[in-house]
Amino acid sequence: MKKSLISIFVPAVILTVIAFVAGGSGLVMKGFTISMNTALRTALMLFVSFVLIGQLQILITKEVLERLLQKLSGLKGIIIGAIAGGLFPGGPYIYFPFIQSFNNKGMPFYIFITFIFGKNVYDFTRIPMEASLIGPNITLIRNLITLPVPIIAGLIARRFYKNRTIESILMKEGEKHAADNNSS
Amino acid sequence: MLPTTIVLSVIAIILIIVNAKKTGKHYEGLKSGMRLLLQSLPLILCAFILSGMIEVLIPVEFVQNWLSKEAGMKGIFLGSFGGMLLAAGPYAAFPIIAAIMVSGAGLGTVVSLITGWCLLGLSKAPFETAFYGVKFFIYKLIASIPFCLAAGILAHIIEIVLM
Repeated sequence: MKKSLISIFVPAVILTVIAFVAGGSGLVMKGFTISMNTALRTALMLFVSFVLIGQLQILITKEVLERLLQKLSGLKGIIIGAIAGGLFPGGPYIYFPFIQSFNNKGMPFYIFITFIFGKNVYDFTRIPMEASLIGPNITLIRNLITLPVPIIAGLIARRFYKNRTIESILMKEGEKHAADNNSS
Repeated sequence: MLPTTIVLSVIAIILIIVNAKKTGKHYEGLKSGMRLLLQSLPLILCAFILSGMIEVLIPVEFVQNWLSKEAGMKGIFLGSFGGMLLAAGPYAAFPIIAAIMVSGAGLGTVVSLITGWCLLGLSKAPFETAFYGVKFFIYKLIASIPFCLAAGILAHIIEIVLM
C-alpha cells in the first residue's frame, strides 16, 4: 500500500506544481475544487463499496475456490476457472502464490491462463468501485464487452497446449526466478 | 449517482444477511471492509487530487484530437497503452480514468483504457516475472494487446451506433 501511495502522491504533487506554474493558484484551486466535489459526490458510494468488499472477502475464501479449481478440465473448466479468477479476492501478492500452489497438482495450463485472465478482467470485488467512479452504464458496457476475454484466452491456450500442465510449461522458469529471488 | 448507491446498498445488505446466516461472520466482514477503507483512504484522496489536476491540465485540443469519439483508433491505441502505464490499484486508477472520461474521452478510449489497465497494467509485472518468469510476462503482455484493442473497437462501434 505504501508503494502505491508514493506512486500516486508523487505525480499528484508534480501535477499540482505544473498547474501552479501554468495557471497560478487559481488553476490549482480549480483542480482542488474538482477533487473535493468528486470526493463528496462519491463518499457514500465508496463507503457502501467497502462494506460490500468486506462481506465478499469473508464469503469467498481461498478454500472454496481451491475446491472449485481442483478437478477442472474442458470448456466447463474454462468457464469455472474464469469465474473463480473473478471471485478471487486480493491483489497479485495473494493470487499468484495461490495459483502457484497448483503447479505440481497437474492443473491444465489453459485453466491457469483462464484463471489469471479471469482475475485480471472480471475481479468482481472491483465492480462496486468501478460503478461508483466511472458510472454504472459504462461499467456495464465494459464488463459485457470484456466478458468473453478470459474464455477466449482459455480456448486459445487449450488449442495450443491441450495436454500440457502448468508444471510442464512454466515451472522450470518460474522456479528459477523464485530461486533467484530467494538467493538475492 | 443515487441509483448506483441504492443498488450497491441493497447488494451490501443482502450480502450481510447471507454472511450472517451462512458464516455468522458479518461483523468481521464489516470490520474488514472498514479497515480496508481506512487503509485505502490516503490513496483515494491522493488519487482524487491527481484526477482533479489532470482534469484542469489536460488540454481540450488534446482530448478532441487524441481521446474523443472522433479520434477513433488513435484514442483506442492511446487508451490501451495508457492503461498499461497506469500502474496503480483500482482506488487510484478509477478516479484518474474518470477524470479522463469527464474531459471528453470517447467510450472506445475509456473501455480500452480500463481493459489495458486490467490486462497490461505494469503494476502486476513484478509478480508475474517473479512467479512465472520474464518469458511468461512478455508472452501474456503480447497476447493481451489484441483483447484491449478489440474491446476498444467494440465500445467505439457501440458509441457510434447506439449513443
